[in-house]
Amino acid sequence: MTHSSSLEDTRNMAATLSGEFADLAQIKKQLISVIAQCKERGLVHSVKASELAFSLPSLPLDEVPPALPLTEEDALDLDALCLAKSYFDLKEYDRAAYFLRGCRSQKAYFLYMYSRYLSGEKKKDDETVDSLGPLEKGQVRNEALRELRVELSKKHSAGELDGFALYLYGVVLRKLDLLKEAVNIFVAATHALPLHWGAWLELCNLITNTEMLKSLSLPDCWVRDFFMAHVYTELQMIKEALQKYQSLTEAGLTKSTYIISQIAVAYHNIRDIDQALGLFNELREQDPFRIENMDTFSNLLYVRSMKPELSYLAHNLVEIDKYRVETCCVIGNYYSLRSQHEKAALYFQRALKLNPRCLGAWTLMGHEYMEMKNTSAAIQAYRHAIEVNKRDYRAWYGLGQTYEILKMPFYSLYYYRKAHQLRPNDSRMLVALGECYEKLSQQIEAKKCYWRAYSVGDVERMALLKLAKLHEQLNESDDAAQCYIIYIQDIFSCGEQLEHAEVSTALRYLGQYYFKNKLYDEASLCAQRCCDYNDAREEGKALLRQISAVREQGESSSTDLSLPIVFNPLSNTTTPVRRVAPLDLSSVTP
Amino acid sequence: MASVHESLYFNPMISNGVVQANIFGIKDWVTPYKIALLALLHEMSTTKPMALLDRRRLNKLILPLQQGPDLTFEQLLSTVEECCAPMVNAVKLRLFLMADRELQDMEHFFAILPNAFSDSEAYKTSVVGLYMRQMLLAYNKLSFSQVYKLYKTLQQYCRQGQRPPRDFSTLAAEDMELTSNDDPGADPMDGEELDAGSLHQSDLGCDEARGPLSQKQAEYFLARQAYLLKNDENKAMRPATLQEELNNILKFNPDFAEAHYLSYLNSVRVQDLYISTHSLLHYFDRLILCGGEGKSNGDEGYGRSLRYAVLNLATLHCRFGHYQQADLALQEAIRIAQEANDHVCLQHCLSWLYTLEQMKGSDSVTLTEDSVKMAAHFCLPYLASLGVQSLVQQGATQGIPANRLLDALRGTDVVHWKQSLSELVEISLAQTASIWRLYGKSTMAQQQVQLLLGMASLESVNYGVQQNNTEPFAIALCHLAELHADQGLYGAVGDIIKHLKQQFPSHTQHSKLWMLCDLKIQFEKAMNSGKFHLAEPHVTAIGALDSMEGLYRKAQLLRALNQMSEASKILQQVQQLGVKKRNTEMIIRVMLATAELHWDSSGFSASLPLLLQALTLTHTHNLQSLESETILHLAFTQLMLGVPEQALALVQAVLESVLAHGALLKKGRALLLMARCQAVLATSAPEELRLGKVEMAVQTLAEAAVFFTQLGCKPRLRDVYYLQARLYHTLGNVQERNKCALLFRLLNQELPPGSSIAATPL
Repeated sequence: MTHSSSLEDTRNMAATLSGEFADLAQIKKQLISVIAQCKERGLVHSVKASELAFSLPSLPLDEVPPALPLTEEDALDLDALCLAKSYFDLKEYDRAAYFLRGCRSQKAYFLYMYSRYLSGEKKKDDETVDSLGPLEKGQVRNEALRELRVELSKKHSAGELDGFALYLYGVVLRKLDLLKEAVNIFVAATHALPLHWGAWLELCNLITNTEMLKSLSLPDCWVRDFFMAHVYTELQMIKEALQKYQSLTEAGLTKSTYIISQIAVAYHNIRDIDQALGLFNELREQDPFRIENMDTFSNLLYVRSMKPELSYLAHNLVEIDKYRVETCCVIGNYYSLRSQHEKAALYFQRALKLNPRCLGAWTLMGHEYMEMKNTSAAIQAYRHAIEVNKRDYRAWYGLGQTYEILKMPFYSLYYYRKAHQLRPNDSRMLVALGECYEKLSQQIEAKKCYWRAYSVGDVERMALLKLAKLHEQLNESDDAAQCYIIYIQDIFSCGEQLEHAEVSTALRYLGQYYFKNKLYDEASLCAQRCCDYNDAREEGKALLRQISAVREQGESSSTDLSLPIVFNPLSNTTTPVRRVAPLDLSSVTP
Repeated sequence: MASVHESLYFNPMISNGVVQANIFGIKDWVTPYKIALLALLHEMSTTKPMALLDRRRLNKLILPLQQGPDLTFEQLLSTVEECCAPMVNAVKLRLFLMADRELQDMEHFFAILPNAFSDSEAYKTSVVGLYMRQMLLAYNKLSFSQVYKLYKTLQQYCRQGQRPPRDFSTLAAEDMELTSNDDPGADPMDGEELDAGSLHQSDLGCDEARGPLSQKQAEYFLARQAYLLKNDENKAMRPATLQEELNNILKFNPDFAEAHYLSYLNSVRVQDLYISTHSLLHYFDRLILCGGEGKSNGDEGYGRSLRYAVLNLATLHCRFGHYQQADLALQEAIRIAQEANDHVCLQHCLSWLYTLEQMKGSDSVTLTEDSVKMAAHFCLPYLASLGVQSLVQQGATQGIPANRLLDALRGTDVVHWKQSLSELVEISLAQTASIWRLYGKSTMAQQQVQLLLGMASLESVNYGVQQNNTEPFAIALCHLAELHADQGLYGAVGDIIKHLKQQFPSHTQHSKLWMLCDLKIQFEKAMNSGKFHLAEPHVTAIGALDSMEGLYRKAQLLRALNQMSEASKILQQVQQLGVKKRNTEMIIRVMLATAELHWDSSGFSASLPLLLQALTLTHTHNLQSLESETILHLAFTQLMLGVPEQALALVQAVLESVLAHGALLKKGRALLLMARCQAVLATSAPEELRLGKVEMAVQTLAEAAVFFTQLGCKPRLRDVYYLQARLYHTLGNVQERNKCALLFRLLNQELPPGSSIAATPL
């Protein structure tokens, strides 16, 4: 199958929804029952389901689903299960496992295995702190995993595992780095119990590309649509993801905070800042004590330099819980915006202490170190980010920037290229590449980069200006003029005021260009517009004088030869200049 | 958010956002293997009466055991057993006593450990003393839970040693069964690994018993592999295995920057641009961090590694032949080195700059001279002699007088020996050999080659590396092969090529050298014996390795096949190329070949100016071998133009040098030519002297025949027999004449019919 047709397929898939969304009440019932099941087993994923259930209209009393009937085995294990669950909730996993060892019901078996698993994880974490030596840190393993795998695989081949146990088996396999097997088991888990979101989530983490996604046979259930949307976001197929979420909201899940947050994140990923900001504000209204995703929100506020909002958010989150990764990131962003970079770096460090695998914090910390001109620490932070996730384009870009600051443009080329590979349609990398090539006097490559940056939709609107200047340097005046024209059109059409806009430079050049090519009307037009800008006013006036001088000269030479030239300069100031229409350059657009 | 099962552990390695590879300040820590080793040392120092030989063997064992990676208990015991059998039981007993009882016993062992060393020959600062103290220090720093964990692992370690390796408990057996299909590392070493043979490599295959390498062990491993990569690639681990091992090290400690560098070297070895660039940059990113922590010179060290990072990138591109990229990187390195006033780095840049210029094929003599001057000024002997060597190489092709070149080389040799720059000594020897060969002094060349091959490497003591496989060795061996081929010793040539093939497998960097050499020899052999169809495939192969050489050989072949106009066209092409690349040797050879083409069309007078031009060139460039060749050509032309006296005089003038230094073929040809001249002169000689002169010609022919027979050069042998037969006929020696005629007839039937007599004029 060709690539384009496969893309087409995914589009179609994204648009359609499972038919089950017609009956929201049914979905709500399913949700309520699965939440209860998860709770009995100590699984915390039920929080997402609860969120979703909350967003749906509540059911009348007679329709609320009753608790699942107990089997005989359940009844036998009831006391042990109660006791063990209490221990489990107190995080005494070994104790819980001990009292469950003889139980036979599915529920008890799952809790038994799950406590053993969690006990192993806890011990592993504890041991990491006092391992025998630094090199041993990669060696610390959850010792329980192998035993669990053996037992679970036996039960699995006997077909005795239910959906939850399958999920646990999958988790164990993933932890043992047996990814292929893990995917199969998770798919089986989704078939056995499609409502259990945890299994879907684990599966999503294991999917690396669209081909893999297509090859899986997933159960046809409404949860699948949520899953697809989530995967699309992860795979950076934002358009498809947005489509999917859109249809989900249309199906009647408008109030779900989960969906709102996901859409907001998706907008953030494609840098549609306004949309994302609006959604996050809505989210905070509905769920004011939410901490999840707030780091993304703060990134947006940071980009827009909305200091008061960011500070309010930071205060708010600190009040809710100051020892959360997200909170630390928000505070870091806040300090960064206030240019207190040391403090910002401190908070990102704190975030990393809370979770060393937090990718965003590494990159952001790198940015802070860059601001502090501590290049070596910045390089280190970026490298760590790359170690956590090789596909983090911001870290690659940051490394490139660092080396560029160190005046090593050739060296930074490699990093920018890496970043460009990961985000082929991001103009920032292309502009950076172009700048490097320019510094290396590789003008041809630089021109290519700038043009490409413009073609993929220039975010910072710098590419054309740079391209024009490059043409100017190379004495390619026609090309330079065209670039300036498009640049001016671009700036005026986008409407917003950009700080770094160099319209005056463009106008100044265009004025001179037209003047040289004897297009005096256009030249004077440009010169007049020049006068609107402080830095170009003098030159604009000078040009205007020159133009009129030449005009007088031209007229005098062609029409009235007898008039001596000496008289004319004075009349220039008195005669009103022809009124011109607003800048209309459409006639010269390429 | 990530899955809830992601462990939210606190990473002790991070403080202030800077990850320190080594927060404890120790590079080593206690493992069960090390306890076993300590037990061994303890036993050694407490048991006083021991056979002297045993003690010596044990002492020799200590260092490799300390430096190497952790061994299993069994391996350790068997290694010790080879040296001293009673010691094994003592160690075993001590360890089992520790493992089978209480934690307290291990504590006790560490408590009494220093006592044993206090009054023995192991001083505090000795290797053993330091090791022991390090271990004690590391042990004392352990917390209770760590000590307990150590004790548990010690118990496991001993227990594994007690039973046969594959016999695990039932649970583990099932476990093994499950993991066996997805754990390729569990498979103990494949056959290829075995021939590497050393203690360290044989156990790398099996994964289970081996823990992660400690920093010291890893450093040792990297240093050893890097050394082997540089000096004897075949003894180093295979690229894939090495990469796997490196990945392993990096998995346990991602901050171990040196591993990235080795990975760079390793991927350059297999010509992998992608990974090598990646590893190189990663290494320097990491190194910058170490420099940033600032050992003594703080910021200075940081900037320094930046400069060398760019320089290394330039060399990488150079190596892959990306000259433009290399140029850009080099300029960048030069710029930042200039900004930092780092003269040493600038010198390195300069020496790379002229290398790059040379590779691009432009003139770099001035640059090189500058580089040598500056390097000498900054006391950088390595760079200075490298520059001199490069100058000598360029000088040799540009016809600088031989005495000056050799003087320069001798001057640098003194420096090399003083500073023990063994690498440069090797290069110098190989270069001298090449220069002697260029000048046509085969004996001198051979002597230099033998000197290089016979010289024990200065560093060979370290790892027992017997034979280096660096470029100088490859070049020297190629020279040796060609020199042997010249003398017709094809058996020896085959042996040398076989050795080269082993030392420099075809994927390695220097393999092209011997491939070209081998092909040239094969081609010559085929041409000499008149088997042109065999020579033809070699031409294509040579062209793939060296385009100019390939064209030249093609022209030769075409001429032999009587396709004169094509040959002439190609020769013109080669001439242009030679002028462009300033390859004087090739220009002269082309001139000679063109002259030969003129002969074929009987344009003898046309070939004279060419030959004279060639003669001037050979004179100015001291190319004696080519000079005598040119003179022989001139003599032949004169003979054909009807001046046999002059021709004979010319031949006799160069005969001495030809017989002394020339190849067999050349000797034979010179003699054949002389005989012809003698024969012609005999006809015009007075009656009474004629017979004597003919006799002389016959004798000369007989000598020539000997050379041609040795070489198996049948077309020329046929000519000799023909002439001999004719001369015997004049002498009236019927019996000899018939014999020669018979031999001629036999050869004539054997050879392809196309090549008539006198197709081989010279």
